[in-house]
Amino acid sequence: MNAPVSLKSLSEADLMKLEREIARQHIDKFPYFAVAWAFANLAVWLSLWPLVFTGVLPLWAGFLIASFNVAACYLPSHEAQHDIIARPGTKLRWLNQLVGHLSTIPLVLPYRVARLTHLEHHAHANDPALDPDHSTHASGPLQAIWKSIQNRQPGAKGGEASYGETLQRIGRPEVMLDAAIYSLVFYGTLFGLAWIGHAIEAALLWWLPRHVGMTYIQYYLSWAPHHPATDKGRYRDTRSFRSIFGNICSMGMQYHIVHHLHPRIPLYRTPKAYWQMRDILEARGCRLEGL
Amino acid sequence: MFVFLGLIFRFGPLLFGLGFIAPLTAQVIERAGWSLPYAITPLMAGLGIGGVLGLAAQLRGRWI
Repeated sequence: MNAPVSLKSLSEADLMKLEREIARQHIDKFPYFAVAWAFANLAVWLSLWPLVFTGVLPLWAGFLIASFNVAACYLPSHEAQHDIIARPGTKLRWLNQLVGHLSTIPLVLPYRVARLTHLEHHAHANDPALDPDHSTHASGPLQAIWKSIQNRQPGAKGGEASYGETLQRIGRPEVMLDAAIYSLVFYGTLFGLAWIGHAIEAALLWWLPRHVGMTYIQYYLSWAPHHPATDKGRYRDTRSFRSIFGNICSMGMQYHIVHHLHPRIPLYRTPKAYWQMRDILEARGCRLEGL
Repeated sequence: MFVFLGLIFRFGPLLFGLGFIAPLTAQVIERAGWSLPYAITPLMAGLGIGGVLGLAAQLRGRWI
C-alpha cells in the first residue's frame, strides 16, 4: 500500500505534527497489564521452586513454565525504563522503579544496567560502535539464535561485555557493580543448591530457562525488529514486520517502529498507534514489511 | 574487595565447571542409576567432567 497522495505532498513539519498528534493520544496511559504482568510473572516463577521441591509440580513442567517466565520478564521492566508507568517526581514513581527492579530478577539483569544501556540503544540504534545491542546483528533467524548464544560465551565481545563498555563510555562504570552483585547472587544460588543436592532443579528452573529466555528476548526484541540493522536514523533504524507466531508470541515487536519513534507509548497501545500513523510512516519511507 | 571480585569473574568458567557442572553431573548419574567402572563415584566423575569442561572453557573463552 502506498501513502495517500495528500500525505506525500505534506511538508516534513506537517507530517511530524500529524505523527505527534497521534502519539499524544497514546502517551500517559497507565499500563495496568504490564504492572500486573510484572508481579504475576515473578510470583509464578518464585512459586515454581516450592512446588517442584515438594513434588506438587513435575520438574519438566517447572522448566517449561520457568522458560516462559524468563522470556516474559523483560517487557514490564522495559516499560519502566521509559518511565511509562510513572514519570520522575510523580506519585506512582515508586511503582515504576519497583517494576523495573523486580521484573528482571529471573533474567539476572539489573534495572540500572538495562535502563542505561537501553537508552543508549535508542540514541544510537544500529551504530556498530555505539549501539550496545548491535552485537545481536546477524544475517538470518538461525544465525541470530547462534549469535545470541555466542554472545554469552565467557570471552565474547558482544552481549554483556558491550553493556560494560557502554557504561564506561557514558561515565557510569559504577553501575557494573550491580551486574557483579546480581551475578554473584545468581551463581552463588546455583552453586549452593547444587552442592546440597538440587543441581538438576537449579539447572532446570533457572540456569537453562535463563538461556532459553535470553535467546528468545534477543531474537524478538533486538534482532527481528532491527534486521538487517544497517540503516540509521529516526525512520530507518527499525521496522514493522509480520511474525509467523503473531504479535503476542513476538512480544509485541511487530510494531517496534512505533516504540522507537515514540518510546513513551505503552507496549499495549503500539498496534493501534501503528495503524493510525501507518500512512505517515509510509510517506516517510519507513520499512513497513508485511504489515 | 574488587580484586577478589575480579579473580572470581576471571576464573568464572573453571569455577562454574567445578561448582555447578560437577554436582549436576553427579546427580544426573545418580538419578539415572548408572554404575561407573573402577569404583569411580558419581562425584568423582562430576568433578572430572566439570573440571575438564571448565578448564577448556577457561582457556578457549567459550563453552561451545
